[in-house]
Amino acid sequence: MSASGAEALTPVALSKEGADRLIIQWSDGHRSVYTWQHLRNHCPCAGCREERSKPPDPFRILKPSELIPLAPLRMPPVGRYAYKIVWSDGHDSGIYTLEHLRSLCQCPQCSVRAVNVSEP
Amino acid sequence: MQPPGGPPQKLALPNIHHVIAVASGKGGVGKSTVAANLALALAQISPPGKGEMGGVGLLDADIYGPSVPIMLGVREVVDQRTTPLPLERYGLKLMSMGFLVPPVQAVIWRGPMVHRALVQFLTDINWGQLDYLVIDLPPGTGDAQFTLTQTAPLSGAVIVTTPQDVALIDARKGLEMFRQVRVPVLGIVENMSYFQGEDGKRVHLFGHGGGQKLAAEAGVPFLGEIPIDPRVSECGDQGEPIVHKYPDSGVAKAYQALAATVIEQLGRTDKGPELPEVQL
Repeated sequence: MSASGAEALTPVALSKEGADRLIIQWSDGHRSVYTWQHLRNHCPCAGCREERSKPPDPFRILKPSELIPLAPLRMPPVGRYAYKIVWSDGHDSGIYTLEHLRSLCQCPQCSVRAVNVSEP
Repeated sequence: MQPPGGPPQKLALPNIHHVIAVASGKGGVGKSTVAANLALALAQISPPGKGEMGGVGLLDADIYGPSVPIMLGVREVVDQRTTPLPLERYGLKLMSMGFLVPPVQAVIWRGPMVHRALVQFLTDINWGQLDYLVIDLPPGTGDAQFTLTQTAPLSGAVIVTTPQDVALIDARKGLEMFRQVRVPVLGIVENMSYFQGEDGKRVHLFGHGGGQKLAAEAGVPFLGEIPIDPRVSECGDQGEPIVHKYPDSGVAKAYQALAATVIEQLGRTDKGPELPEVQL
């Protein structure tokens, strides 16, 4: 266990690509790609985690705010270890640690790895 | 987990050169005593007018059980209309919830209130120019720790433990918390390490070498051992910490050595870059 964060992976730059993608360039040279929907689907806040753990409700009525396409409004850093995404529907309680963001990468290389890991 | 009211903003404290968190996983290891005496020892090295900024502050972040008032001899609730905050004692600038709430009154708050109080203590108090602001954290890994690691520009953390396994287990949790939130750990200090009799013989009442072992295991510096001396608690109860009352005692010398080591570690520690902003 090392208590120093100096050797840990850090983002060098973050940018928006088109309307629906986030790009993160990491200190090890990796370029991560994410759709905003993917990030929202993996929101780490307690409410979203609980929601994901429930079986889908076939009778759920969508709220008007859920009919509007979701967009990120802001993505401020949290300390030196995470980012927070403020969404257009007002949701803002998810704190995405850098490790979590890296694990969510959707680039072709990471997606293949994720599929291989999930296969029995 | 997150207080409402928008994202936590990283606070800018341009007049404070270093913010040092003093933490422990477990209560009862003497963390507040270490924080107060470390702050005084730092102030002896860096009094107002000396150093890059000059002066030292001590912020009591234990909202539910503040110890700074009694340890620094503040027995009355402060009337802010007549007494500006922070208070000053023995050359230290001080802030504590205990200055605002009578000792018999319990503060029964949820996390968001604790968050708001701590942010106010950091930003609404006129700390002036400081070389060091020492923050005495409550035990554990709860709301106060979370708020300060998210919002305060911490230069590093000092972890306090005692030699017993029961304290070391929780100190590991404190270390892990700082690792996860990427706050550098300046090192581990072992309090109540030994009692030294008049014959000079050291008696390790609570075991020996636990702090050093933990530091080696975690790959962080071991900052030193603070001996047991009955005068430490007497001084705390009387409101004049031992570093100020008995500056030539063995314990005071251990704190002076600790302060020098902490300053040295601050010079060596790389906080790492701030995270880049993203424009959406």
